[in-house]
Amino acid sequence: MAAALSNKVLLVDDNIFFLNILVQEFSRTGLECTMAESAKEAIEILKTEIPDIILSDLEMPEMNGIEFRKYLIEHKNLRDIPFVFLTYLADRELITEGLDLQAIDYIVKDTPIEVISSKLNNILSAVNTQRERSSLEIRNAAKSLNIKSIPTKIPYVKGFEIDFWHQPYHDIPGGDFIDLIPVNDRYTFVALGDIMGKKWMAWYFTFGFLSYVRSAVRFATLNGDFSTASIVQKVNSIICLDDVLQDILSSLSLLLIDSETQTITYSGAGDLPLLHYEADAKKLNIVKSEGLLLGLFAEADYDEKRIVLKDDDQLFIFTDGMIDFAGENGKQSDYNLFADKLLSYLKDSTADFRLMKKNLLSVDTDKQVDDCSIININKRYI
Amino acid sequence: MIDIIKQENGYLLTKLDVTEANLNNSEKFKAELIGLLDGHNDKIVIDMHRVSYMDSSFLGALVAGLKHAISLNSDVLLVSLRKDISDLFSLIRLDKVFKIYNDFDDIVIPR
Repeated sequence: MAAALSNKVLLVDDNIFFLNILVQEFSRTGLECTMAESAKEAIEILKTEIPDIILSDLEMPEMNGIEFRKYLIEHKNLRDIPFVFLTYLADRELITEGLDLQAIDYIVKDTPIEVISSKLNNILSAVNTQRERSSLEIRNAAKSLNIKSIPTKIPYVKGFEIDFWHQPYHDIPGGDFIDLIPVNDRYTFVALGDIMGKKWMAWYFTFGFLSYVRSAVRFATLNGDFSTASIVQKVNSIICLDDVLQDILSSLSLLLIDSETQTITYSGAGDLPLLHYEADAKKLNIVKSEGLLLGLFAEADYDEKRIVLKDDDQLFIFTDGMIDFAGENGKQSDYNLFADKLLSYLKDSTADFRLMKKNLLSVDTDKQVDDCSIININKRYI
Repeated sequence: MIDIIKQENGYLLTKLDVTEANLNNSEKFKAELIGLLDGHNDKIVIDMHRVSYMDSSFLGALVAGLKHAISLNSDVLLVSLRKDISDLFSLIRLDKVFKIYNDFDDIVIPR
C-alpha cells in the first residue's frame, strides 16, 4: 500500500467570501478543506485536527498571520506543518518577515484562483515527495541493519498451523511486534505485542521489547521454566527497571504451544482478549487475561490460562488496530463488531486463514487507522 | 486542552476538550497533565465526555500521567467515559488502574 497522499488544507482568512471561493476551487481538485475565520479559530481546530498544510492570510484582526505563525513555531506538534501566507503584493515587508518565520511560500491573493490552486497542489506534491523520500531512507536503513519486528518464517508445530497477518498503518512500520520462538520439538512460544505510540518512535522500541521477550523465554526455558505468567512477569520487571523504556508501555500476549499435550497456555499484559473459535458449535469464546500493560507497575501480577483446542478450532490473537476503524462519526474502537465480523466469516467459510487474509482482512484497509496484526492458531488432526 | 473547571478540597476538576484523542494531541496532553500535577497539590479529575476515540498513544500519555501522579502521592481520576472508551478501558484492564466514575458527583470529595 502506498503512503496516503496529503490533501488536508486549513484555510485561515477573515474574509469568508474569499474563503468560500478557495474552498470551492480546492475541493474540485480533490483537496479536503477546513475553514477558520480567525487565527484563534484556527488554533482551536488545530487542537483536534492536524492538516497537511496551512494557508493563512497575513492581515487579520486580533491575531495577524505573523503572530499566528509565531504561535505555531512555539508549539512542537504544529511547527512543522507546511505554512503558506496569502497576501497582497503591497505587504512586501510582511512577506519578508513571514518568510523569515520559515513559511515555505507566499501566494498573492490577486492571482487567478486556478493558479493559486495549482500552486498549492505543487507545494503539496513536493511535501509528499519529501515525506516519501525520508520514509524510504529510514526504511532502507532499517532493512540494511536486518532488523525486523515481524517474523520471516513460520515454524512447524505438530498438530497446529500458525499464520499471521500484519499491515502497518500507511506502510510505515509501527509499534506492533510478532515473534514465533520454537524452543524444541515440543514447545513453541508465540508473542504479539503493541507498543503504545505510533510510527517510527513506537517501531524503534519494538526491538527493545522483542529482545527482552526473547531473552526471558530463553533464560526461563533453559532453567526448565515453561510458565508464560512467570515469563511475562520477568519481562515486565526488566522493562520497569530500564530507564530507556521509562514511560514506554506495551501490551503483550504470550502463548506457549505444547505439541505433546496439544494444549496452549496464555498470559496477557494489557492485551485485547483472545478469540477462540469452536468449530463444532460455530461460536466464538472470549479468553481474557488479568495482566496489566508491560512497564506499568514493577510489582504487577500475571495470570495464566490453559486453552484446549479441539480439531479445527482456531485461536485469534490481535492488536487494537484490528478493532479500530474510521466510521461515519469519525474513528471508533469496537471489539464486539470485529468479533461479530469474524464469526460471520468463519461460519460461512472454510477455516483457511490464507483465504481469510485475502477475503476478510485485506478488504477494508482504507478504513484502517492504526497498525493491524492478527495471529491465527488452527488445531489440525494429527 | 485540559480546561480547569474548579478546585475543591484537594481535587482539581477539569475537562478534556478533545473529541479524537490521538498521536497529534497526546504529547501536549501529557505535558499539560504533568504540569497540573506539578503545579497543584491536588488529585486531578478529568471529565472525558467529549472523547469519542482514543488511540494507544493517548492511552500511553494518560498512563504516563498517572504514573507521575503516583510518584507524587497524588492521583488521576476519570469521569464520564463514553461507552466505547469505557469498553476499551475494561478490555485492556485499565479500569483496574484508573479510578473511574460516572460523574463528578460520584467522587466523594471531603466538603
